[in-house]
Amino acid sequence: MLAIAGVSKAFGPTVALKPFDLEIARGEIHALVGENGSGKSTFIKLLAGYHQPDAGEAFVGGRPLKLGSADSAYELGVRFVHQDLGLIGDLSVEDNLHLTQGFPTRFGTLRARAMRTRTREAIERLDIDVRPGAKVETLSPALRTGVAVARALQDDPASPARLIVMDEPTATLPQDEVSRLLAVMQNVVAGGVAVIFVTHRLDELIGFADRLTVLRDGVRQTTRLMAEITRREIVHLMVGAEFEEAHAEAQAIEGVEHVPLLQVSRLDSTPLRDVDLTVASGEIVGIAGLTGSGRETLLSAIFGGAPRDAGEVSVGGDALPPRRPDLAVELGIGYVPPDRKVNGALMDLSAQENLVLPALRRLWRFPALRESVAARETAHWFRELDVRPSDGMRRPLSTFSGGNQQKVVLGKWLRVGSRVLLLDEPTQGVDVGAKAVIYHHLVQTARGGAGIVVASSDSDELASICHRVLILWNGRVAAELVGAAVSTRNISAGVLGGHKGGETPDAHAAVLSARP
Amino acid sequence: MAVWERRRLNFGMDRFSGLYLFALVVVIFSLWIPDLFLDMTTARSVASAQAIVAILAIAATISLASGAFDVSIGAVANLSTVVAVALQTIYGWGMLASIVVALAIGVVVGTINGFVIVVLKVGAVVATLGMGAILLAVQEIVSMSSQPPPPSSETWSNLTLTPVLGFQIMVVYMLVIAIVAWWVMAHTPAGRYIYAVGSNADAARLSGIKVGKWQWLALISSSTLCSLAGVIYASAYGPSLTYGGSLLLPAFAAAFLGSTQLKPGRYNIWGTLIAVYVLATGVQGLQLVTGVSWLNELFSGLALIVAVGLAGWRHRQAAEARRLGASSKGDADPPGGVDAGPVVDPVGARSS
Repeated sequence: MLAIAGVSKAFGPTVALKPFDLEIARGEIHALVGENGSGKSTFIKLLAGYHQPDAGEAFVGGRPLKLGSADSAYELGVRFVHQDLGLIGDLSVEDNLHLTQGFPTRFGTLRARAMRTRTREAIERLDIDVRPGAKVETLSPALRTGVAVARALQDDPASPARLIVMDEPTATLPQDEVSRLLAVMQNVVAGGVAVIFVTHRLDELIGFADRLTVLRDGVRQTTRLMAEITRREIVHLMVGAEFEEAHAEAQAIEGVEHVPLLQVSRLDSTPLRDVDLTVASGEIVGIAGLTGSGRETLLSAIFGGAPRDAGEVSVGGDALPPRRPDLAVELGIGYVPPDRKVNGALMDLSAQENLVLPALRRLWRFPALRESVAARETAHWFRELDVRPSDGMRRPLSTFSGGNQQKVVLGKWLRVGSRVLLLDEPTQGVDVGAKAVIYHHLVQTARGGAGIVVASSDSDELASICHRVLILWNGRVAAELVGAAVSTRNISAGVLGGHKGGETPDAHAAVLSARP
Repeated sequence: MAVWERRRLNFGMDRFSGLYLFALVVVIFSLWIPDLFLDMTTARSVASAQAIVAILAIAATISLASGAFDVSIGAVANLSTVVAVALQTIYGWGMLASIVVALAIGVVVGTINGFVIVVLKVGAVVATLGMGAILLAVQEIVSMSSQPPPPSSETWSNLTLTPVLGFQIMVVYMLVIAIVAWWVMAHTPAGRYIYAVGSNADAARLSGIKVGKWQWLALISSSTLCSLAGVIYASAYGPSLTYGGSLLLPAFAAAFLGSTQLKPGRYNIWGTLIAVYVLATGVQGLQLVTGVSWLNELFSGLALIVAVGLAGWRHRQAAEARRLGASSKGDADPPGGVDAGPVVDPVGARSS
């Protein structure tokens, strides 16, 4: 049904996908697995027409697919259910369903009855419980996914669906909904439609998928029958056998003084439940977990960016009320949010203005803010963190590259000497050189007595610099890796559920405590 | 010349284009109608007439910098004017007391606007639009639908019309206000926090800034300045019931135009002031030439579209150039990552 030959894509010097071949038969459920950065998102975007490939061809049902054209993909019967579903919250289920296919009209007017019938058919095929007129934003995540799938599966006589690509559709679904979705996909496949199913939840694939392809670092590792591969092997292929400790400094991480700086107990913040966390002075604690496990929410909930429904947070003994980032800063917490463009930095303001913003009062001596001091301090941090261009302090932060922007964001907390640093995806979109600088400073800062928490989807990163790593699963702390057990492989394996059902990571684990 | 140096030269041209334009306008009209134009009376009357607009434009600048579009500024000014006069001539209050009450109106309105926008989380445009309408109604009630008679005392008019160095003293008031506003916005933490909040309220909050507090203060400052402008107007021109609405456009036009000057991409006080006077001088010149009365609106509207459009276009060009330069150097950012839109984003994302 789908045949791909030699498709590759690079962004500048970064190769996202090396030449890649794949064949999928009619009615096949094909699983696609790989970590972030493995190339699987790039592959899907190529199919969807979002990117142009550098090379390669694709055929759907024998007919050539114009990679890089969304229309071509649709016409040939390729349908997508993306991770963010692509639904418009403000519109009803019915309207959303018709967005891709077009509205039935007579003389330019919408034909309400025809729309209703089509919507009902789509909903019933999947047996999901929604009113056609319900606004999508009022539906639960599970129902929303259902609507997105229903939309993808709709009959379009002009170009019938031949291949459905589902990108992590179950990431935010509770267990029972997952089974229901999988059952629906079985029905779909019975009609001859092929499915590419991208997921991190390997349990789902066993018994569901026919074949599996593993990607790592842009290279296809294998394509095998599900029946012929074990879970362990899959994880092994995804994660790789050997890893260099990229940062020799990590070896030198000394023992930790046990003065607790940050104490979090019984924290609830959707989807997190009952999370405890203690960070001592000098410690770097890592938080690992899949999307939807709560990893992306934990630090924000602690700092006050996200709501905290229950639980206590205290810094050096002082309690921090929920939703009060200003108090968090006063208590000495610094937070680097995951998406700096959205809320990590003030892109219109200059690098200098960003850097001196917390504790601005320090620069105030009547009658003016002392620009010379601001400049001096900024220059100091520019040098320390090797921010380039070095003479660009007065330029808007938006003109700096991602790595340098992140250094400025980090710098602003280093400048005020935060005693607790919460870093969410600190090196996302950051080049290798800047990564090294950032890690160096994190280790130094911890050595200087601060407590640091790093939440990251990059297991290498966590393994390089953390003393301990907490693994989140479905909103709870599932396991904790300490000391020698902190390795990329263990973290990746743990994140994928390696702590469950006998698939324990390395025998060399010094301490591995699993909580139910 | 290196690409970067060339760009810097252009950049200078961008930042000071208002001043160049001002010079150009003066030159053109001086050559065209030298007797009418190059007359100190012309300069003085433009300076005075625009003093009120300038104060309102400064108020607009402050609220825009904080991320709020405060469209009640005209109504606040007008109400203060009417109240300042009516209290004296209809209700027999003393001058000082009337002025204080008129100013208090600005403070109260700003506080209410702040409450609605920060606490009730109503978008700024909607909240201030509603407030403006309410204030018009209050004005009707206070004035009982007819223009109150202006106070006859000379002390009252002298408050604003006393000549200083040939200009009326209200021009001096305006300059003092501008200097204070500039000092606060450019040289104090308060100004910095306001710009941060206006740039990205979420990011500002995550840097520990009390976003609500600064939005509120910006709104109160804006409204208070407007009532000050209203009192000045009352003393200089009398109790017009309708001028407030007509000044809304010129005030905002100046604030938007001002954001392309001196500190491009940021609403700033001196830029706004330059814009006020460039527009006014141009309009005055055209009016002297043609004797037509609708030029004010036309000129303001055109200048606004052209200037802001140009500024936006140049910013996008610069951002594109950086993006292309960066990706050829093998930056880690995928294409389309770096964006540098100017702060000027009326109505769109900034109305809360």
